[in-house]
Amino acid sequence: MKNRVAPLEGACKDYEEDLVLYYYGDCGAAERATIEKHLVQCLRCGKFVDDLGRVLPQMAPKPELPQAFWDSYFRETMAKLEEQTERQSWWRRWLAPMNGWLVPAFGTAAVAVLAIVLVLEKREVATTIDAASSTIPAEVLVDSNQLEFFKSLDILESLSTLEAQDSVKPEPKTSLIDDRRGARALA
Amino acid sequence: MKSAQELGDEELVALCQQGQGHYFEVLVRRYMEKAFHIAYDFTRNKETAKDLSQDAFLRAYANIKRFDGRSSFYTWFYRIVVNLCLDHARRSGKVLWESLDKTTEEPGGQRQLVDTQYQPDEEAMAGEATRRANATLESMPNKQRTAFLLRNQQGLPIADIAKVMKTTEGTVRVYLHRAVAALRQSLVEFV
Repeated sequence: MKNRVAPLEGACKDYEEDLVLYYYGDCGAAERATIEKHLVQCLRCGKFVDDLGRVLPQMAPKPELPQAFWDSYFRETMAKLEEQTERQSWWRRWLAPMNGWLVPAFGTAAVAVLAIVLVLEKREVATTIDAASSTIPAEVLVDSNQLEFFKSLDILESLSTLEAQDSVKPEPKTSLIDDRRGARALA
Repeated sequence: MKSAQELGDEELVALCQQGQGHYFEVLVRRYMEKAFHIAYDFTRNKETAKDLSQDAFLRAYANIKRFDGRSSFYTWFYRIVVNLCLDHARRSGKVLWESLDKTTEEPGGQRQLVDTQYQPDEEAMAGEATRRANATLESMPNKQRTAFLLRNQQGLPIADIAKVMKTTEGTVRVYLHRAVAALRQSLVEFV
């Protein structure tokens, strides 16, 4: 940053995005020709590209590292890779004999567990219902008197039915009553 | 018969996929500097960059069988490196100032920006400019920063950046322009 120059000026709005690509060499031949034609006429855009050329290469420069660093880097990476391979091989060795039956075994176990869970769940639901009925407060429960009362109501409701039945039935013999009355009178 | 070093990336990958894992060391040699520098651009810390880039090799090797050749090996591998760097940044929630201060103390670091016969005020200006540039980079959305770092620092073509970022070239151009515009804005008084 030794050579300080005037602050960056904005480029023409229509060209700014293309100028960035032009700087990086990422535009096609036709675009490049259009931009270059514009740059000849427009000092602002020309300066914009120059400024990008000054600023961007200075962004986060790469650290200069000695060959010893890369040698050590490579050795370390290879050691880590070997360690990772060893770890994987250990797992593979452990799992290898089980490969044939591991999936069906796990499948069966999963089904068994599911069945047990379902059975237990069902039982729990049943006990929950029982427990719920035992925990109903006494006030809510119908006592025997109330039950009798409701039963009598049932009878009242069915009275009309009984009356209807009675109306169908033949009248009881009044002669018998009369006979009794007559007998009492005689006595 | 070609030597291992002469083989192309895809040939080496194919050999690794066939169980000849030792060919992977050629890929490590080929890409270790690039991987390290990408990680360094993201983290500005030598040790973290080393760990992250080495981790990228471990992941690439562990997943080598999943590489289907639809993209080139290096775009696939760059994606792994970039994702690890972004994950690391997310996890650490790191502010770049700290690592930058450390970097400026290292010989061959930020002082390369100025003349060897630098003057204190120029050094301070350079330090401030770099700090501001890196703070701007740090505050950018990840996608803008990634596009900028891959283009500006790694020199990847837009088409390859699009593959690494799994997006379109048009989108990468927009990210790149926005990143450059933000940097230009932040450095306007230092140029």
